[in-house]
Amino acid sequence: MKESSYSLFMSALFNGRKGSRPPVANPTSIVCHELMDRVGVGFPEAHLNAQAMAELALAGHEVVGFDAVMPEFSVHQEAAALGCQVDWGNRNAMPDAKNFPYEDFSPIHIPENLLERPSMRVVLDAISILRRHVGGRAAIIGKVMGPWTLAYHMAGTQNFLLQIGLGEDEVVHRMLRQLMPVPIRFANAMFQAGADAVVLADHATGNLVSPAQYEKFLLPLHRELTSQIHGPVILHVCGNCSDRLELFAASGVDAYHMEWQVDAKDAVARVGHLISLIGNINNPQTLYQGTPEDVYKQARYAIASGVHIIAPECAVPLATPLENLKAIVAAAHEGY
Amino acid sequence: MHELFQEIRSVIISGRPKEVEAPIQRAIEAGVPLDRLIHEAMIDAMDEVGRRFTAQEIFVPEMLASAMAMKKGLSLIKPLLTASQNVSRGTVLICTVKGDIHDIGKNLVVMMLEGAGFQVMDLGVDVTVEALVEKVRESRPQILGLSALLTTTMPEMKRVIETLEAEGLRDQVKVIVGGAPVDEAFALRIGADGYGADAAQAVALCKKLVEVA
Repeated sequence: MKESSYSLFMSALFNGRKGSRPPVANPTSIVCHELMDRVGVGFPEAHLNAQAMAELALAGHEVVGFDAVMPEFSVHQEAAALGCQVDWGNRNAMPDAKNFPYEDFSPIHIPENLLERPSMRVVLDAISILRRHVGGRAAIIGKVMGPWTLAYHMAGTQNFLLQIGLGEDEVVHRMLRQLMPVPIRFANAMFQAGADAVVLADHATGNLVSPAQYEKFLLPLHRELTSQIHGPVILHVCGNCSDRLELFAASGVDAYHMEWQVDAKDAVARVGHLISLIGNINNPQTLYQGTPEDVYKQARYAIASGVHIIAPECAVPLATPLENLKAIVAAAHEGY
Repeated sequence: MHELFQEIRSVIISGRPKEVEAPIQRAIEAGVPLDRLIHEAMIDAMDEVGRRFTAQEIFVPEMLASAMAMKKGLSLIKPLLTASQNVSRGTVLICTVKGDIHDIGKNLVVMMLEGAGFQVMDLGVDVTVEALVEKVRESRPQILGLSALLTTTMPEMKRVIETLEAEGLRDQVKVIVGGAPVDEAFALRIGADGYGADAAQAVALCKKLVEVA
């Protein structure tokens, strides 16, 4: 096969032909201080300006050597468009929402011009810019928040989870249902703008909710999402989700981006034939505080386990050393 | 009384705050000793909630609902307690460190500690080292709890401990740490007195530390 970054990534995404090595990509952010310094573009500019966003994403491919680019570094683009006040942070801090506009669970107003809201348009424009620069050479990944994560942003995480605990099923279903058009419209616009795949980040994480709660509230919605989004979908859920891998595999997604708590070997054995697996190098201990040798070992473990696309487990800490990110690439370039 | 305690336990464990008032009022009217009501029915129930959470039989939503029921129940009893009955198990000052605004884990710890009879002062999120040290000096808690979800804010925990040392306050307070990126090894390395992987472990840790102190 033709061994471009693009081909390796797309083939691995569908568990297809293997080239001489596994691809490396992070469906979530790989931005760190050293990368910002290298390209002269940083936060918060890269959340708000399409050119800056695209340049920083591109550096993941051109400077670090990852096979995919992903330009959406924050998780608050949609929240801002839906009326959250977002503090866009700075060089050392990721953006954060300052209020929860629907903590009373009143009907959610989704603006007519959702995709033209500045925080949404900037991502679509950045994807178009990336398409012009690396389309067909490196894979371009877009990112949308699923209804569960959006509910955290709309009502507050604790408040939303409490409704589940109180058995207010109707309230929970209603909020999730209302938020469904947001990821569908955003993801489809990303494909039209030039994305090759879209990450659906939906934090029904192993540390917060049970597999039964995922199955009851979210799995039917994920099935709807994957059927209505016209392109490959990668699911990202943080935490130890070993107890719900089969449910993810039944959601219609093409891949699952997992954290280090999920054992790579176990995950591949259980669902690797149904969906591709992406991950799962530990961020806090290994990428952030470890040595390139530590990173290399974990990457080789993931490769030996049959993980399809090698990646950090989640958005990397901003102080992650660049050489640690490069150690993932080095491990992958040694081949299978 | 046994049946009434069972009912209160059951309402708290299954997280039904709307139903907690009636059996507690009945217990109060029946003249049940309040300390027994708190310990044998309510704190005992929260111990069970903690056990189920650690065993992953329940998750955060259920724990939040139980904590809400507990809080509501305690608010009915507290005004009736005399000074001598209102003895706390210990005092804990707690916050999420500077640069970090994630508070759900910290809030769970607060709820479980209060449920276990500790007096908790919650400083909230994004708390500077200076503000925290000042509060330690002023309120002299037995335990200081530090939380962080972000890997970027973990180093703040170390700064807190170093500043407490520099200010001569480190011997007066036990420092415990927690949060998703934190582990036992990190706690040891920065010189903390303990680490709890979840809210139930944090409670067990605090009980142990105040016994030793």
